[in-house]
Amino acid sequence: MPLDYPIHRRTLPNGMRVVVSPDHTVPNITVNIWVGVGSRHESPGRTGFAHLFEHLMFQGSRDVRSGEHFEALMAQGGRLNATTWFDRTNFFETVPTGAVELALWLEADRHGHLLDAVTQENLDNQRDVVKEEKRQRYDNQPYGNALIDVYAAVFPQGHPYHHPTIGSMEDLDAASLADVHAFFRAHYGPDNTVLTLCGDVTAEQGFALVERYFGDLPADTAPRRPDLEQLAPLDTAVRVERREVVPNDRLHVAFRLPVDETDEFLAAAVALDCIGGLAISRLVRRLVRREQTALGAHATAWGLVDGVSLGFVVLDVAPGVDPAHVEAAFVEELESFLEHGPTGIELEASLAQSERSWLSALASQEERADLISHHLLLHDDPDAVNTHLDRLRDVTAEQVVDAARRWLRPDSRAVVAYLVAADGVAGTQGVA
Amino acid sequence: MSTPRPKVGPPQPWTFPAPVEHVLGNGVRVLVHDLPGQYVLSVRVVVPTALSAEPVGKEGIGAMTARLLDEGTAAHGSEEFAELMERHGMVLGAGVSDGGLLVDVDVPQRHLATAAALVTEALAQPVFPDDEVRRILRNRLAEIEQERASSAHRAARELARTLWAAGDRASRPTAGTTESIASLTRDDLVEFHATAVGPRGATVVVAGDLTGVDVLGVLEGTLGTWAAPRHRAASPPAAPVPAADAARVVVVDRPGSVQTEIAVGRPGPDRSTPDGWAPYPVLSFVLGGSPSARIDAVLREEKGYTYGIRSSFRPRVAGGSFVTSGSVRSEVTGEAIEILLGILDGARDGFTDAEVRSGVDYVGKTAPGRYATADAVADETAALALERLPLDFTTRNLRAVAGLRRDDLDGAYQQVATGEWSVVLVGDAATVVPTLDGRVGGPVSTVAL
Repeated sequence: MPLDYPIHRRTLPNGMRVVVSPDHTVPNITVNIWVGVGSRHESPGRTGFAHLFEHLMFQGSRDVRSGEHFEALMAQGGRLNATTWFDRTNFFETVPTGAVELALWLEADRHGHLLDAVTQENLDNQRDVVKEEKRQRYDNQPYGNALIDVYAAVFPQGHPYHHPTIGSMEDLDAASLADVHAFFRAHYGPDNTVLTLCGDVTAEQGFALVERYFGDLPADTAPRRPDLEQLAPLDTAVRVERREVVPNDRLHVAFRLPVDETDEFLAAAVALDCIGGLAISRLVRRLVRREQTALGAHATAWGLVDGVSLGFVVLDVAPGVDPAHVEAAFVEELESFLEHGPTGIELEASLAQSERSWLSALASQEERADLISHHLLLHDDPDAVNTHLDRLRDVTAEQVVDAARRWLRPDSRAVVAYLVAADGVAGTQGVA
Repeated sequence: MSTPRPKVGPPQPWTFPAPVEHVLGNGVRVLVHDLPGQYVLSVRVVVPTALSAEPVGKEGIGAMTARLLDEGTAAHGSEEFAELMERHGMVLGAGVSDGGLLVDVDVPQRHLATAAALVTEALAQPVFPDDEVRRILRNRLAEIEQERASSAHRAARELARTLWAAGDRASRPTAGTTESIASLTRDDLVEFHATAVGPRGATVVVAGDLTGVDVLGVLEGTLGTWAAPRHRAASPPAAPVPAADAARVVVVDRPGSVQTEIAVGRPGPDRSTPDGWAPYPVLSFVLGGSPSARIDAVLREEKGYTYGIRSSFRPRVAGGSFVTSGSVRSEVTGEAIEILLGILDGARDGFTDAEVRSGVDYVGKTAPGRYATADAVADETAALALERLPLDFTTRNLRAVAGLRRDDLDGAYQQVATGEWSVVLVGDAATVVPTLDGRVGGPVSTVAL
């Protein structure tokens, strides 16, 4: 079934790229903004800053008092939030049709005039809130810091993806008002921002509204550096072991992958599906169902743009089983896949599951707007929402095995093992 | 030169989509939502069952039966079944609540017939292979340990144990305990399935773009053939009985925690409550539904003690609870819980007109967006079926929300918030307990993780 979500696109004179995607089935409009700044742009000693900055975007701007952004939109039936990731920061709200101008006005005020309102008090308060977010989502969770260990093990020191978006407590402490001003000036501006309107609006109405509220913002973002060159796979295996108070041993086996949206990335993602992502993947069939040495096996491919993407498999080791045994079985399955490639059934299942999850994402106006902004900002290709599944259908068994042989070799893996601390005392051992 | 702040236009009238209702040959009720543009269909099957009827010592038998439905049927082995689902882009989940068993399927439109056939197999002819039974039970035992290790899960479990009477099924985990799961046998599961899972009283919901799809034809040929001769209709669930000593503070010792997970609860209403459900979602929003709500305005935006604390009324099929939960850094636990209980108790003095307006507007005006996908519509209609609510409940309730006044909110809240809170704190007891001194009334006990 060919998809035909409407994509109308225009670039304002100040460089802001805009897409309007009309959908009148619900009397709602989603405003979705992606700014081309993420944790990959942070400087040493200031990790976590892009995310802390995102919090400050809710604490008032020239004509909006602290907290008013949330209050004003929620009182009109708006559902809203913002997130920060390696590659970008996004801000979004879905509002009843009649409130779209209020949403655009509020967004333009903070995207254009944040610094008029930023105070030391707000910075200190949101620094505390972000530290509690870090404690809640990472430090107080079993395995909560495992992915942070994965980033550090897979990506070299100094690489933009070596450190996590949440940052470190020390760097959060060091953030100053001067940093806030410099960051806003360097990264926030219409020429580094895309905006999608998705929902109950026509293309002409939509463009006119965005022009009215964002048209007078100056194109003043600092020049962007080009994305980094593609990183090669790890040439020798890396291993990090932590003894933690966790309910069972867990292995994270990670790989560098090609950058997002390349044919080779899609093929590598399909390979990871076949190995560990599907309910009938090699690892699930063998380790979870037959040998029952693992409680679960999951694989994920995260597409990123700055010279490398990340793929990883998570294996929950069954109680009483030696994790080395599970890892050895993983390597055997990987080697077998590299030798023989995917079966027809695996390819069919991977495509069918990708199709469902892609269509489910597009079913929601909010997620559709987010996918449009994503492909507009990072790949200049908002029509990807319509063409992505066609590209997946064209992936061949040969491409999958080729990508796997280059990127998923056992000696290109980084293993982060979280092992049950026998005496309840945590510790670390790294073997590079 | 700044653009003037724009005015907001009135929202357009909206009603929750009305399903078309049918009955299959075997008596199964069918509710169909044709939602153009929703290419992934959401299928829900609900079978009324009574969690409270699970035999003592066998708690979790319903949840384990649900998890085993697709792990081997008369026609397909467990792996074969999984392969058929994967190749058709289908995803299936199954579980139980206090009032029913729910099977939840999403599938691209063109594979509806395959999905309906597989769901029918799973419901009607699961064979509970020995190997799969062992695996699923063993995985539940590991899951219990994972839940114990998670502060939020551990807090929810302790709150249920504190809030509800010791003999009440609601005081114990829906999916069972280490002891009850260890006692389950294949025979138990086979017998439970034969008597508790069948078409009597069952409802199927299908939501999504049904252009060119013969839904009734597909369902008659699949779920319409479902028979279960030994199936007994479940007795309607009763609201759980609160514990006589529910008003107390329990610290769950989790050494080394850098935060304390807080859960504060009271029994609450279900959506059939005679005085009307309308005030409760509004109360949730005003107290703990946003950074500007009463709780986060202080604990997050003023004090910076938390990433966010949420209050919500949680209806069951019968009865329910009012739960406020979130985490704060360990050192400030005593001060945070004193402030939190102060806000919850203080709200008994009444809400402001501005709060009522903002909550009513939020709940009412977000509805079109909250129910915009096949998934959300199917979930709501399946919930209505299980709760035995009329199909226009959602729309009528939204109308009632629009008409709420201060007195309605004050009255509803005062019924629930009597000042007798069950308080659970999961954290490092050595740090947390000293901070409670003089901050909380009533008995404080400490239990192991």
